[in-house]
Amino acid sequence: MSYDYIEFGESEKEFTSKIEEISGQNIFSCYQCGKCSAGCAFSNLMEKTINHTMQLVQLGKKEKVLQSNTHWVCASCLTCTVRCPREIDVAAVMEAIREYTLRYEPETIERLDLPEELLKKIPNIALVGSFRKKSEL
Amino acid sequence: MKNSYFPGCNLKTEAKGFEQSAIAVSKELDAELVEMPEWNCCGTVQTMTTDNLMRRIAPVRVLSRASKHVKELEGSPNQVTTLCSMCNSTLKIVNAEVKENPNDLEKINFQLENDDLVYEGDMEVKHFLEILRDNVGYENIAKKVTNPLEGMKIASYYGCMLLHPEKAKIDDEEMPTVMESIALSLGAEVVDWPYFKQCCGSYHIVDRDDIVNSQVVKIIRNAKKTGANALIVACPLCAYNLDNQQVELEKLGVEKDPIPIFYFTQLMAIAMGLPQKVNHFEDHHINPKTLLKELGLLGKKK
Repeated sequence: MSYDYIEFGESEKEFTSKIEEISGQNIFSCYQCGKCSAGCAFSNLMEKTINHTMQLVQLGKKEKVLQSNTHWVCASCLTCTVRCPREIDVAAVMEAIREYTLRYEPETIERLDLPEELLKKIPNIALVGSFRKKSEL
Repeated sequence: MKNSYFPGCNLKTEAKGFEQSAIAVSKELDAELVEMPEWNCCGTVQTMTTDNLMRRIAPVRVLSRASKHVKELEGSPNQVTTLCSMCNSTLKIVNAEVKENPNDLEKINFQLENDDLVYEGDMEVKHFLEILRDNVGYENIAKKVTNPLEGMKIASYYGCMLLHPEKAKIDDEEMPTVMESIALSLGAEVVDWPYFKQCCGSYHIVDRDDIVNSQVVKIIRNAKKTGANALIVACPLCAYNLDNQQVELEKLGVEKDPIPIFYFTQLMAIAMGLPQKVNHFEDHHINPKTLLKELGLLGKKK
Protein backbone atom coordinates (compact mmCIF):
# COMPACT_ATOMS: atom_id res chain seq x y z
CA MET A 1 0.00 0.00 0.00
CA SER A 2 1.32 3.37 -0.90
CA TYR A 3 1.03 6.56 1.10
CA ASP A 4 2.38 8.74 -1.70
CA TYR A 5 -0.65 11.01 -1.53
CA ILE A 6 0.42 12.28 1.87
CA GLU A 7 3.07 14.87 1.24
CA PHE A 8 5.09 15.94 4.21
CA GLY A 9 8.04 17.84 2.88
CA GLU A 10 9.99 20.81 4.22
CA SER A 11 7.26 23.40 3.60
CA GLU A 12 4.62 21.27 5.35
CA LYS A 13 6.94 20.63 8.26
CA GLU A 14 7.72 24.33 8.55
CA PHE A 15 4.06 25.28 8.94
CA THR A 16 3.36 22.58 11.52
CA SER A 17 6.45 23.50 13.54
CA LYS A 18 5.61 27.19 13.46
CA ILE A 19 2.11 26.53 14.83
CA GLU A 20 3.61 24.28 17.50
CA GLU A 21 6.15 26.93 18.38
CA ILE A 22 3.63 29.78 18.70
CA SER A 23 1.07 27.72 20.62
CA GLY A 24 3.51 25.69 22.70
CA GLN A 25 1.41 22.59 21.98
CA ASN A 26 2.26 19.18 20.60
CA ILE A 27 -0.09 18.99 17.62
CA PHE A 28 0.60 15.29 17.17
CA SER A 29 -1.01 14.51 20.53
CA CYS A 30 -4.38 14.89 18.81
CA TYR A 31 -5.97 11.50 18.11
CA GLN A 32 -9.10 12.85 16.41
CA CYS A 33 -11.72 12.03 19.02
CA GLY A 34 -13.70 15.10 17.95
CA LYS A 35 -14.63 16.26 21.44
CA CYS A 36 -13.43 19.81 20.63
CA SER A 37 -15.80 20.12 17.68
CA ALA A 38 -18.66 18.45 19.55
CA GLY A 39 -18.50 20.91 22.44
CA CYS A 40 -17.75 23.99 20.38
CA ALA A 41 -20.54 26.59 20.50
CA PHE A 42 -19.63 27.77 17.01
CA SER A 43 -19.08 24.53 15.07
CA ASN A 44 -22.12 25.22 12.89
CA LEU A 45 -20.55 28.46 11.66
CA MET A 46 -17.14 26.99 10.87
CA GLU A 47 -16.19 25.91 7.34
CA LYS A 48 -14.02 23.18 8.78
CA THR A 49 -14.53 21.65 12.21
CA ILE A 50 -11.82 22.10 14.81
CA ASN A 51 -10.64 18.50 14.78
CA HIS A 52 -10.41 18.66 10.97
CA THR A 53 -8.30 21.80 11.31
CA MET A 54 -6.10 20.02 13.86
CA GLN A 55 -5.50 17.21 11.38
CA LEU A 56 -4.69 19.65 8.59
CA VAL A 57 -2.14 21.33 10.87
CA GLN A 58 -0.62 17.91 11.61
CA LEU A 59 -0.29 17.39 7.86
CA GLY A 60 1.12 20.89 7.31
CA LYS A 61 -1.65 21.85 4.89
CA LYS A 62 -1.12 25.59 5.32
CA GLU A 63 -3.31 26.79 2.45
CA LYS A 64 -6.31 24.73 3.54
CA VAL A 65 -5.96 25.81 7.15
CA LEU A 66 -5.62 29.51 6.36
CA GLN A 67 -8.43 29.53 3.78
CA SER A 68 -10.96 28.24 6.30
CA ASN A 69 -12.79 30.65 8.63
CA THR A 70 -12.47 28.26 11.59
CA HIS A 71 -9.82 30.14 13.57
CA TRP A 72 -11.55 33.50 12.97
CA VAL A 73 -14.94 32.21 14.16
CA CYS A 74 -13.34 30.83 17.35
CA ALA A 75 -14.17 33.24 20.18
CA SER A 76 -11.52 31.87 22.58
CA CYS A 77 -14.08 30.54 25.06
CA LEU A 78 -11.68 27.64 25.78
CA THR A 79 -14.36 24.96 26.11
CA CYS A 80 -12.29 22.73 23.78
CA THR A 81 -9.18 23.35 25.87
CA VAL A 82 -10.72 22.30 29.17
CA ARG A 83 -12.32 19.19 27.61
CA CYS A 84 -9.48 17.82 25.48
CA PRO A 85 -8.64 14.32 26.75
CA ARG A 86 -5.11 14.71 25.38
CA GLU A 87 -4.71 17.96 27.32
CA ILE A 88 -3.96 19.99 24.22
CA ASP A 89 -4.71 23.68 24.57
CA VAL A 90 -6.82 23.57 21.40
CA ALA A 91 -7.81 27.24 21.66
CA ALA A 92 -4.11 28.12 21.75
CA VAL A 93 -3.70 26.29 18.43
CA MET A 94 -6.52 28.41 16.97
CA GLU A 95 -4.78 31.48 18.40
CA ALA A 96 -1.51 30.34 16.83
CA ILE A 97 -3.17 30.08 13.40
CA ARG A 98 -4.54 33.62 13.82
CA GLU A 99 -1.13 34.84 14.96
CA TYR A 100 0.59 33.07 12.06
CA THR A 101 -1.66 34.94 9.64
CA LEU A 102 -1.18 38.25 11.43
CA ARG A 103 2.59 37.86 11.67
CA TYR A 104 3.42 36.40 8.29
CA GLU A 105 0.52 37.20 6.00
CA PRO A 106 -0.61 40.67 7.01
CA GLU A 107 -1.94 41.51 3.55
CA THR A 108 -4.85 39.11 4.11
CA ILE A 109 -6.25 41.18 6.97
CA GLU A 110 -8.96 43.65 6.12
CA ARG A 111 -8.96 46.83 8.09
CA LEU A 112 -12.17 47.28 10.01
CA ASP A 113 -14.12 50.37 9.18
CA LEU A 114 -16.35 50.83 12.19
CA PRO A 115 -19.11 53.45 12.21
CA GLU A 116 -18.84 56.04 14.94
CA GLU A 117 -22.19 55.26 16.49
CA LEU A 118 -21.12 51.62 16.95
CA LEU A 119 -17.87 52.74 18.56
CA LYS A 120 -19.81 54.82 21.06
CA LYS A 121 -22.16 52.00 21.95
CA ILE A 122 -19.95 48.92 22.13
CA PRO A 123 -18.16 48.13 25.42
CA ASN A 124 -14.45 48.93 25.33
CA ILE A 125 -13.54 45.38 26.35
CA ALA A 126 -15.17 44.16 23.14
CA LEU A 127 -13.12 46.60 21.07
CA VAL A 128 -9.82 45.82 22.79
CA GLY A 129 -10.54 42.09 22.64
CA SER A 130 -11.47 42.20 19.00
CA PHE A 131 -8.45 44.26 17.92
CA ARG A 132 -6.11 42.02 19.88
CA LYS A 133 -7.50 38.85 18.33
CA LYS A 134 -8.10 40.06 14.80
CA SER A 135 -5.51 42.71 14.01
CA GLU A 136 -1.80 43.36 14.38
CA LEU A 137 -2.44 45.81 17.22
CA MET B 1 -11.43 43.42 55.95
CA LYS B 2 -10.38 45.63 53.07
CA ASN B 3 -9.66 44.29 49.60
CA SER B 4 -7.52 45.93 46.98
CA TYR B 5 -9.81 46.22 43.99
CA PHE B 6 -8.90 46.44 40.29
CA PRO B 7 -11.85 47.84 38.33
CA GLY B 8 -10.83 47.51 34.68
CA CYS B 9 -12.11 49.87 32.01
CA ASN B 10 -15.72 48.77 31.60
CA LEU B 11 -16.69 49.21 35.23
CA LYS B 12 -16.17 52.94 34.72
CA THR B 13 -18.25 53.16 31.54
CA GLU B 14 -21.02 50.69 30.60
CA ALA B 15 -21.00 48.74 33.86
CA LYS B 16 -21.13 51.51 36.47
CA GLY B 17 -24.04 49.69 38.11
CA PHE B 18 -21.86 46.60 38.56
CA GLU B 19 -19.06 48.51 40.26
CA GLN B 20 -21.16 50.74 42.47
CA SER B 21 -23.51 47.98 43.62
CA ALA B 22 -20.52 45.73 44.35
CA ILE B 23 -18.78 48.40 46.42
CA ALA B 24 -21.98 49.12 48.36
CA VAL B 25 -22.54 45.41 49.00
CA SER B 26 -18.90 44.85 49.98
CA LYS B 27 -19.18 47.53 52.67
CA GLU B 28 -22.30 45.89 54.09
CA LEU B 29 -20.51 42.56 54.28
CA ASP B 30 -17.30 43.87 55.82
CA ALA B 31 -15.27 42.93 52.76
CA GLU B 32 -14.83 46.43 51.39
CA LEU B 33 -13.48 46.87 47.88
CA VAL B 34 -10.96 49.72 47.81
CA GLU B 35 -9.92 50.85 44.35
CA MET B 36 -6.20 50.55 43.73
CA PRO B 37 -4.43 53.69 42.49
CA GLU B 38 -2.86 54.08 39.03
CA TRP B 39 -4.35 51.01 37.42
CA ASN B 40 -4.29 50.40 33.68
CA CYS B 41 -6.23 48.24 31.22
CA CYS B 42 -5.22 44.59 31.63
CA GLY B 43 -5.50 43.95 27.89
CA THR B 44 -8.92 42.23 28.16
CA VAL B 45 -8.00 38.98 26.43
CA GLN B 46 -5.02 36.91 27.42
CA THR B 47 -2.62 35.87 24.73
CA MET B 48 -2.36 32.12 24.26
CA THR B 49 0.95 32.41 22.45
CA THR B 50 4.16 31.28 24.10
CA ASP B 51 6.33 34.10 22.91
CA ASN B 52 4.38 37.35 23.05
CA LEU B 53 5.63 39.05 26.20
CA MET B 54 4.34 42.46 25.12
CA ARG B 55 0.79 41.32 25.79
CA ARG B 56 1.77 40.29 29.30
CA ILE B 57 3.25 43.59 30.39
CA ALA B 58 -0.04 45.33 31.20
CA PRO B 59 -1.33 42.64 33.60
CA VAL B 60 2.05 42.41 35.36
CA ARG B 61 2.04 46.17 35.81
CA VAL B 62 -1.41 45.95 37.41
CA LEU B 63 -0.13 43.24 39.76
CA SER B 64 2.95 45.24 40.76
CA ARG B 65 0.84 48.29 41.59
CA ALA B 66 -1.72 46.20 43.44
CA SER B 67 1.12 44.69 45.45
CA LYS B 68 2.09 48.21 46.54
CA HIS B 69 -1.54 49.02 47.33
CA VAL B 70 -2.10 46.03 49.64
CA LYS B 71 0.86 47.13 51.74
CA GLU B 72 -0.93 50.44 52.33
CA LEU B 73 -4.22 48.74 53.23
CA GLU B 74 -4.38 47.57 56.80
CA GLY B 75 -4.94 43.86 57.24
CA SER B 76 -5.33 43.13 53.55
CA PRO B 77 -4.10 39.77 52.26
CA ASN B 78 -1.74 39.76 49.27
CA GLN B 79 -4.53 39.67 46.75
CA VAL B 80 -6.25 41.87 44.24
CA THR B 81 -9.98 41.53 43.63
CA THR B 82 -11.72 41.91 40.30
CA LEU B 83 -15.35 42.15 39.22
CA CYS B 84 -15.07 41.78 35.44
CA SER B 85 -14.57 38.13 34.57
CA MET B 86 -12.38 38.94 31.57
CA CYS B 87 -9.99 40.97 33.74
CA ASN B 88 -10.12 38.20 36.31
CA SER B 89 -9.11 35.58 33.81
CA THR B 90 -6.38 37.67 32.13
CA LEU B 91 -4.78 38.67 35.44
CA LYS B 92 -4.99 35.15 36.88
CA ILE B 93 -3.48 33.49 33.81
CA VAL B 94 -0.62 35.96 33.44
CA ASN B 95 0.05 35.81 37.18
CA ALA B 96 0.35 32.01 37.00
CA GLU B 97 2.48 32.18 33.85
CA VAL B 98 5.06 34.62 35.23
CA LYS B 99 5.29 32.66 38.48
CA GLU B 100 6.07 29.54 36.45
CA ASN B 101 8.55 31.35 34.20
CA PRO B 102 10.88 33.61 36.21
CA ASN B 103 12.86 34.43 33.05
CA ASP B 104 9.78 35.93 31.43
CA LEU B 105 9.02 37.88 34.58
CA GLU B 106 12.52 39.28 34.59
CA LYS B 107 12.15 40.48 30.99
CA ILE B 108 8.76 42.04 31.74
CA ASN B 109 10.05 43.70 34.91
CA PHE B 110 12.83 45.22 32.81
CA GLN B 111 10.08 47.00 30.85
CA LEU B 112 8.64 48.33 34.10
CA GLU B 113 11.89 49.90 35.28
CA ASN B 114 10.68 53.42 34.64
CA ASP B 115 7.78 52.68 36.98
CA ASP B 116 10.07 52.36 40.02
CA LEU B 117 8.13 49.18 40.71
CA VAL B 118 8.76 45.63 39.74
CA TYR B 119 6.55 42.62 40.32
CA GLU B 120 7.86 40.07 42.81
CA GLY B 121 5.33 37.37 41.97
CA ASP B 122 3.76 37.70 45.41
CA MET B 123 0.11 38.38 44.56
CA GLU B 124 -3.03 36.32 44.13
CA VAL B 125 -5.98 37.35 41.99
CA LYS B 126 -9.51 36.80 43.27
CA HIS B 127 -12.88 37.37 41.74
CA PHE B 128 -15.42 39.06 44.02
CA LEU B 129 -17.50 35.86 43.81
CA GLU B 130 -14.63 33.98 45.44
CA ILE B 131 -14.44 36.58 48.22
CA LEU B 132 -18.19 36.19 48.82
CA ARG B 133 -17.97 32.40 48.91
CA ASP B 134 -14.68 31.90 50.79
CA ASN B 135 -14.31 34.96 53.04
CA VAL B 136 -17.84 36.22 53.63
CA GLY B 137 -19.87 33.00 53.43
CA TYR B 138 -23.39 32.53 52.09
CA GLU B 139 -24.98 32.49 55.55
CA ASN B 140 -23.61 35.97 56.27
CA ILE B 141 -25.04 37.22 52.98
CA ALA B 142 -28.43 35.74 53.96
CA LYS B 143 -28.27 37.53 57.32
CA LYS B 144 -28.13 40.92 55.57
CA VAL B 145 -31.17 40.27 53.38
CA THR B 146 -34.09 42.52 54.30
CA ASN B 147 -35.94 42.30 51.01
CA PRO B 148 -35.92 38.65 49.89
CA LEU B 149 -36.19 38.22 46.14
CA GLU B 150 -39.45 36.30 46.21
CA GLY B 151 -40.79 35.50 42.77
CA MET B 152 -37.45 35.79 41.00
CA LYS B 153 -36.44 32.71 39.06
CA ILE B 154 -32.82 33.16 38.20
CA ALA B 155 -30.69 31.55 35.54
CA SER B 156 -27.03 32.02 36.51
CA TYR B 157 -24.98 32.72 33.43
CA TYR B 158 -21.27 32.17 34.10
CA GLY B 159 -20.01 32.69 30.57
CA CYS B 160 -16.64 31.26 29.65
CA MET B 161 -14.07 33.30 31.47
CA LEU B 162 -15.15 32.50 35.03
CA LEU B 163 -14.73 28.78 34.42
CA HIS B 164 -12.00 28.51 31.75
CA PRO B 165 -9.17 27.72 31.65
CA GLU B 166 -7.87 25.60 34.53
CA LYS B 167 -5.54 28.39 35.70
CA ALA B 168 -8.32 30.95 36.03
CA LYS B 169 -11.43 29.05 37.03
CA ILE B 170 -13.25 30.13 40.18
CA ASP B 171 -15.41 27.02 40.50
CA ASP B 172 -15.95 23.58 38.95
CA GLU B 173 -15.81 24.10 35.19
CA GLU B 174 -18.69 21.78 34.35
CA MET B 175 -20.83 22.14 37.47
CA PRO B 176 -20.36 25.49 39.18
CA THR B 177 -22.56 26.49 42.13
CA VAL B 178 -21.29 29.82 43.45
CA MET B 179 -23.75 32.09 41.63
CA GLU B 180 -26.69 29.79 42.37
CA SER B 181 -25.76 29.70 46.06
CA ILE B 182 -25.67 33.49 46.22
CA ALA B 183 -29.04 33.77 44.47
CA LEU B 184 -30.51 31.24 46.91
CA SER B 185 -29.17 33.12 49.91
CA LEU B 186 -30.95 36.23 48.57
CA GLY B 187 -34.26 34.38 48.68
CA ALA B 188 -34.59 33.82 44.94
CA GLU B 189 -35.32 30.59 43.13
CA VAL B 190 -32.72 29.23 40.73
CA VAL B 191 -33.11 27.14 37.61
CA ASP B 192 -30.96 24.27 36.47
CA TRP B 193 -30.05 24.87 32.85
CA PRO B 194 -27.43 23.57 30.45
CA TYR B 195 -26.49 26.87 28.79
CA PHE B 196 -24.85 28.39 31.89
CA LYS B 197 -21.48 28.65 30.18
CA GLN B 198 -22.35 28.61 26.48
CA CYS B 199 -20.18 31.42 25.07
CA CYS B 200 -22.15 34.58 24.19
CA GLY B 201 -19.91 35.33 21.20
CA SER B 202 -17.73 37.76 23.15
CA TYR B 203 -15.78 40.32 21.10
CA HIS B 204 -17.37 39.15 17.83
CA ILE B 205 -20.01 41.79 18.61
CA VAL B 206 -17.65 44.32 16.98
CA ASP B 207 -17.74 42.93 13.45
CA ARG B 208 -19.77 39.71 13.49
CA ASP B 209 -22.96 40.40 15.41
CA ASP B 210 -24.58 37.51 13.52
CA ILE B 211 -22.38 35.13 15.55
CA VAL B 212 -23.43 36.81 18.80
CA ASN B 213 -27.10 36.82 17.81
CA SER B 214 -27.14 33.08 17.09
CA GLN B 215 -25.65 32.46 20.55
CA VAL B 216 -27.97 34.86 22.37
CA VAL B 217 -31.03 33.21 20.81
CA LYS B 218 -29.90 29.78 22.05
CA ILE B 219 -29.05 31.03 25.54
CA ILE B 220 -32.20 33.10 26.08
CA ARG B 221 -34.59 30.48 24.67
CA ASN B 222 -33.12 27.88 26.96
CA ALA B 223 -33.37 30.17 29.99
CA LYS B 224 -37.01 30.94 29.20
CA LYS B 225 -37.79 27.27 28.70
CA THR B 226 -36.71 26.52 32.26
CA GLY B 227 -39.03 29.26 33.54
CA ALA B 228 -36.35 31.82 34.42
CA ASN B 229 -37.49 35.44 34.55
CA ALA B 230 -34.01 36.96 34.94
CA LEU B 231 -30.37 36.21 34.17
CA ILE B 232 -27.44 37.07 36.40
CA VAL B 233 -23.97 37.66 35.00
CA ALA B 234 -20.51 38.70 36.16
CA CYS B 235 -19.05 40.02 32.93
CA PRO B 236 -19.79 43.39 31.31
CA LEU B 237 -19.39 41.91 27.84
CA CYS B 238 -21.80 39.01 28.46
CA ALA B 239 -24.15 41.59 29.95
CA TYR B 240 -23.98 43.84 26.90
CA ASN B 241 -24.36 40.98 24.40
CA LEU B 242 -27.30 39.38 26.19
CA ASP B 243 -28.98 42.68 27.03
CA ASN B 244 -28.53 44.76 23.89
CA GLN B 245 -28.81 41.90 21.41
CA GLN B 246 -32.16 40.78 22.86
CA VAL B 247 -33.43 44.25 21.96
CA GLU B 248 -31.88 43.96 18.49
CA LEU B 249 -33.40 40.50 18.01
CA GLU B 250 -36.79 41.88 18.96
CA LYS B 251 -36.40 44.59 16.29
CA LEU B 252 -35.52 41.87 13.77
CA GLY B 253 -38.63 39.93 14.80
CA VAL B 254 -36.60 36.88 15.86
CA GLU B 255 -37.33 36.92 19.61
CA LYS B 256 -39.90 38.65 21.73
CA ASP B 257 -40.50 39.17 25.48
CA PRO B 258 -36.88 39.90 26.42
CA ILE B 259 -35.83 38.99 29.95
CA PRO B 260 -33.75 41.37 32.06
CA ILE B 261 -30.02 40.88 32.69
CA PHE B 262 -28.64 41.74 36.13
CA TYR B 263 -25.17 41.77 37.58
CA PHE B 264 -25.29 39.49 40.62
CA THR B 265 -24.26 42.44 42.80
CA GLN B 266 -27.27 44.47 41.70
CA LEU B 267 -29.61 41.79 43.01
CA MET B 268 -27.59 41.65 46.23
CA ALA B 269 -28.04 45.41 46.61
CA ILE B 270 -31.81 45.09 46.07
CA ALA B 271 -32.13 42.20 48.50
CA MET B 272 -30.14 44.13 51.11
CA GLY B 273 -32.32 47.20 50.64
CA LEU B 274 -29.43 49.43 49.55
CA PRO B 275 -30.11 52.75 47.76
CA GLN B 276 -31.47 52.24 44.25
CA LYS B 277 -29.02 54.63 42.56
CA VAL B 278 -26.03 52.28 42.90
CA ASN B 279 -27.59 49.96 40.33
CA HIS B 280 -27.59 52.42 37.41
CA PHE B 281 -30.52 50.66 35.77
CA GLU B 282 -30.68 53.52 33.25
CA ASP B 283 -27.65 51.96 31.49
CA HIS B 284 -29.55 48.73 30.78
CA HIS B 285 -31.14 48.13 27.40
CA ILE B 286 -33.98 45.99 28.77
CA ASN B 287 -35.48 47.84 31.71
CA PRO B 288 -35.03 45.61 34.79
CA LYS B 289 -37.44 47.77 36.80
CA THR B 290 -40.44 46.31 34.99
CA LEU B 291 -39.88 42.88 36.53
CA LEU B 292 -38.90 44.28 39.93
CA LYS B 293 -42.08 46.39 40.05
CA GLU B 294 -44.19 43.41 39.03
CA LEU B 295 -42.76 41.38 41.90
CA GLY B 296 -43.03 44.28 44.37
CA LEU B 297 -39.28 44.36 44.97
CA LEU B 298 -38.63 47.94 44.00
CA GLY B 299 -38.10 50.77 46.42
CA LYS B 300 -37.95 48.71 49.63
CA LYS B 301 -35.41 49.98 52.10
CA LYS B 302 -33.65 48.22 54.91
